[in-house]
Amino acid sequence: MTTLITARQMIWADVLRLRKKRGFIALVLAAVIAPIVIVTGYNVIQHASDPAAHAPAGGLHNYARLLDMLGVFMGPVAAVLIGAEAGAGDLAAGVFRDNVITGRSRLALFLARIPAALIVCLAVTGLGFAIGLAATFGFAGGLPTPNASLILESAAWLALANAVVCTIAIGVASLTGSRPGTIAGLIGWQLVLSPLLVQSSSLGSLRNGLLDGAVLFLKPGPVSGSPAITMSVAVAVLVLLVWLAVLPSLGAWRTRTRDA
Amino acid sequence: MQTVGLTKRFGERTAVDGVSLVVPRGAAYGFLGHNGAGKTTLIRMLLGLTRASAGSATVLGLPVPAQRAEALARVGAIVEEPSFYPHLTGRENLEIAAAVRGPETRSRIDQVLHRVGLDKRAGDRVGTYSLGMRQRLGVARCLLSDPELLILDEPMNGLDPGGMLEVRRMIRELVEEEGRTVFISSHLLDEVEKTCDVAAIIDGGRVIAQGSIEELVADRAGELVIECDDTERALSLLAGDPTIRNLRREHGGLRMSLVAREQAGEINSKLVTAGLVVTRLEPARRSLEERFLEMTTRLEVAA
Repeated sequence: MTTLITARQMIWADVLRLRKKRGFIALVLAAVIAPIVIVTGYNVIQHASDPAAHAPAGGLHNYARLLDMLGVFMGPVAAVLIGAEAGAGDLAAGVFRDNVITGRSRLALFLARIPAALIVCLAVTGLGFAIGLAATFGFAGGLPTPNASLILESAAWLALANAVVCTIAIGVASLTGSRPGTIAGLIGWQLVLSPLLVQSSSLGSLRNGLLDGAVLFLKPGPVSGSPAITMSVAVAVLVLLVWLAVLPSLGAWRTRTRDA
Repeated sequence: MQTVGLTKRFGERTAVDGVSLVVPRGAAYGFLGHNGAGKTTLIRMLLGLTRASAGSATVLGLPVPAQRAEALARVGAIVEEPSFYPHLTGRENLEIAAAVRGPETRSRIDQVLHRVGLDKRAGDRVGTYSLGMRQRLGVARCLLSDPELLILDEPMNGLDPGGMLEVRRMIRELVEEEGRTVFISSHLLDEVEKTCDVAAIIDGGRVIAQGSIEELVADRAGELVIECDDTERALSLLAGDPTIRNLRREHGGLRMSLVAREQAGEINSKLVTAGLVVTRLEPARRSLEERFLEMTTRLEVAA
């Protein structure tokens, strides 16, 4: 019982240190919300100025674009920022050593970072999704809108996509002990290298091992278009699990063995 | 706390070389040495932050690192300097520390903030704290678990005289009023002398002396200090005595080396018989600083 209470307190303590970093939270929110606001605003103005040439800013088509922004581009960027801060923030502040000398298990210290970061990450993603959803319905005009089932599937997919990236970022940050290195490396991978590799048909089935390929394959059907890589759901889930097992495990190992 | 032959090597370099210490319960123990002498490395081994290359250690009677978690649950420590999240308030930093320590420690936050005199600034961001306030907040974090043993690495570092006095008072209260054991590493000899009951001196990774402060500063060479109403006459009276060596003026009086301590009475008698009024006659008490420099210089010469 005491262990559970301690675990819960440690998680909320990590949430506290993340959410109270106001500049950082502002940056993360800006990364997620600003693109939605800018794109929607631009579309609203275009539609208002020439309704015949430009479709309304909401509706199903724009909803698909919202999912791309939140699940493939800016959502993962925010997830990387949050994961890097959660994974290496205590090292950067020098507090990791003080936590270790309490006698608390280093594995427990590492494990507390994951749910804490996910709480913040999913709250930010959820806020972005809520704003995007409001725009989808609010500016739909006469266009079709997503039904409840698609909204639920989309929410689940967004949570999965960003949670996976966030957890991986915690693992990499804990492994390297460097926030800037983790952020630069993972954003470079996520926004540049990985999309290029997904599109490189010459790599054949090797692309099945890419995180992006699996995430995009699991995107809800009605708004996914045709995925660049085809695979079974089982393979996609397996790919995600392997990514989730390897990098966080390395992070946990380094947290346990690091000289504090 | 006890160490036996504790050793730490970094490649070819030996940072701590077979250190054996016994830290008595309920005392302020000073661990004295130059910067780079091996003080922090020894503390890091005691706290399980780095592994020892050889030797063994027990903390509160429990072997470390084998029973590190149990031992450290009753220890509060600051290594190098206390670190905090600067964007959080003092209280929030303690809430985070309490969460790691365990559910029972949260209720002690107000008490320890009051104990270190930070209750009025607890709501301010730590980024706005002075170094002295951060040191006190570090001590507050140590006290959260109501520890039997506190390990403070250079607690006076960077403090102004007022801050040093505050920390010194706090340490004495922790020992005398609350019965805790406090282990302090420092290169500030004067502070260790004023704060601690017992000390060890480390140089080049090896302990070169340990004992009570009184023992460490005791005059083993039999030096005597005399003050009287006519220093010049006293000097001329004692100058020809073959049993007195190294006779010299010092701080308005005289200082000399004796062959045997019992000579002090004879010297007093000689001066009084000559009609001098002796106002002070006592064995010379060197400061810990003098003793430390004497020992470390002797070792350097020997090397």
